[in-house]
Amino acid sequence: MGGTRMPFTVAGIRLKRVLREKWGLISWLAIPIIIVFLMSLIAGTGGGKMTGRLLVTDHDETGVSQFIIGGFSQGPMAEIFTVKQVSETEGKALMDDGDASAWIVLEQGFGDAVLNNQPTKIKLVKNPAQSILPQMVESSMKLLVDAASYVQVLFAKELAVLKPMLETQKFNDAELVILTLGIKNQIERLEETLFPPQLKMVEQQVEQSVDEATNITFALLMFPGAVFMALIFSANSMGLYIWDDATNGVIPRLSSTPAALKAYFNGQVIAAALLFLLIVFILGLLGGLYFDLPLIKLPLMMLWLTFSGLVIYQLFCMISLLMPTAKSAVIVVNATSFPLLMLGGSFFPMETMPTWLATIGQFLPNGFLLQGLKDWLIRAEPMAEALMWPFVLGLVMFSVLWLVNRVLIRRLIHKV
Amino acid sequence: MIVNRKRPWQKHMIQIEALTKNYGQFTAAEDITFEVKTGEIFGLLGPNGAGKSTTINCISGLLKPSLGEININGHSVLSEAIKAKASLGLVPQDLALYEDLSGQENLNFWGQAYGLSGEKLNNRIKTVLDQVGLTSRAKDLVSTYSGGMKRRLNFACAILHEPQALLLDEPTVGVDPQSREHLLSAVEQLKAQGTAVLYTTHYMEEAERLCDRIAIIDHGKIIAVGTVDELRSQMGEKDLITLNGDFDAVEQTVLTEFEVIEWQDHTVRFMAENAASQLSELLAKFPQGTIKQTAVQQANLESLFIKLTGRELRD
Repeated sequence: MGGTRMPFTVAGIRLKRVLREKWGLISWLAIPIIIVFLMSLIAGTGGGKMTGRLLVTDHDETGVSQFIIGGFSQGPMAEIFTVKQVSETEGKALMDDGDASAWIVLEQGFGDAVLNNQPTKIKLVKNPAQSILPQMVESSMKLLVDAASYVQVLFAKELAVLKPMLETQKFNDAELVILTLGIKNQIERLEETLFPPQLKMVEQQVEQSVDEATNITFALLMFPGAVFMALIFSANSMGLYIWDDATNGVIPRLSSTPAALKAYFNGQVIAAALLFLLIVFILGLLGGLYFDLPLIKLPLMMLWLTFSGLVIYQLFCMISLLMPTAKSAVIVVNATSFPLLMLGGSFFPMETMPTWLATIGQFLPNGFLLQGLKDWLIRAEPMAEALMWPFVLGLVMFSVLWLVNRVLIRRLIHKV
Repeated sequence: MIVNRKRPWQKHMIQIEALTKNYGQFTAAEDITFEVKTGEIFGLLGPNGAGKSTTINCISGLLKPSLGEININGHSVLSEAIKAKASLGLVPQDLALYEDLSGQENLNFWGQAYGLSGEKLNNRIKTVLDQVGLTSRAKDLVSTYSGGMKRRLNFACAILHEPQALLLDEPTVGVDPQSREHLLSAVEQLKAQGTAVLYTTHYMEEAERLCDRIAIIDHGKIIAVGTVDELRSQMGEKDLITLNGDFDAVEQTVLTEFEVIEWQDHTVRFMAENAASQLSELLAKFPQGTIKQTAVQQANLESLFIKLTGRELRD
């Protein structure tokens, strides 16, 4: 009897009621935008680039080691990284506390090894709670080491002349002229071979770095979390609406009709899905255009966010339905929302959190769903790699909670 | 013990057999048995907490009975719930409405919950709005309605699908006289159309006006059942006399020739034939200054209830 129609009737009624409460809807949309704006201001970047701290322990203290470290203190890298020279102990302590993006240790003899064309090692410790900045350090280090290796191969003779001068700090003018000419001749000789591919490579690198450097800002890192914030706020209210329907007598009366309470609950889920879709459409479109995200990614981003909202909604419904009274449901659901927001990456991007907190956050439903989205949307990881496991986990969670909630809603009748 | 239950039950729209509902050690309804025929209004009369709502909630499927059978239109509420509920309309004691929707939107929702749609639903909405006198306010939000109008809408939601059995759980509590009259007339109209109505109330005058048969219920048990006349006859020609005063020092033997119903320190109730002529003689049996107030009640449902339970209906 109207079994298939009833969920849509319930969904229609719910949406009509939600949309009539304009201020509720406006607050779900506006609060996240305001918080992202304020957090961006507090972070001091106002939409600028993210920054990190690079620790360096230089046991070598030669010109070569200084060349490597100097790579992070000049040009665009200097805008991103604050380089701090530390001792081994200090470096270890700071990394353990999650207070730096990465730590480079250059052993004694590093410079000699480079100049003598001998193999050597550089120790790089990365902060596992962050992904972008440590990756930048690692990539830069590889480039610098590659550069040093090429210098070893191409200018072995010249380095052999330079080495005693560096050791004694005595520079002979004639020898310097010979050295300079030797380097010049070598470059001219290899020009045809070296520069064309180098120019091509530079072009490619510039293209890539524009994408990454301009897009990965604090505000962009906050953006998906902010949409999650709107979803959490709305899922919170939607989860509690079921108690409203119980206390105003609708659910008890519905159970005296042929329409099953399961149909009522499915209607609530449909209403939640449509509401989340509306929210992510508005916020997603605004954010997508503002942050210049690829348009092709927006539809999937919106679907992902809606799916994430539904997982969170089922969680709030379960908590709400487990509570003995409407009042306790409000208290506990609200009390659950804030840790989810704080640890799940909505108030602070996980990239800026201490390691242990970020680890906890990644196990929260909004946390792993958000990280998957960021990896795909912002870090341009392949879709299957970034979204597969969060999707599977989310789907399992949604299904289990949905089944549990369909049972719990029947018990609600006896609580009112 | 009932043999071949199905056939006799089909004669009745609502059939309750040995219904019992326990909450742990507490028994809210015990061995309740009655039936309501097509076109009959059956009243459940009792004070608050007597077990009326528990009985209604079990019949409507909100509560699962601990024991007993409930059939609506020949279908068991327990084993054929959907079929049984399709014939049933419920007017709950508490309002079950969306206050932020209009009256029409509420009716539309409840109509669909009962499986109505399209033109049929629209026509029924018009009919019931007219029946409860809310046509002019149909598009207004329910939050703007008076208490009585909400009660009328609450009633209208239950009769949209033209149920063959209607349960009304104290539908007139807190209702103004105009709305009460609307509701009572609508119930009488449904009876005339052949609907079986189960009506719970603690208003004696409503029960006397509407009900063909009445069951008096107290502490979860039916203590008397019959037509209004049958119940009145249980009182005989006796009047109920209630005395208020200080009786802790008075011996109960002063009233040996009367039927004492209740004897407490401050209240004494007893039955007397032709109380008016006997009153002065009767009062003289008590020490001077003992009696502070005297009330004589002629035989009616309330006096019967007091006779049966020793308590007033509104206790």
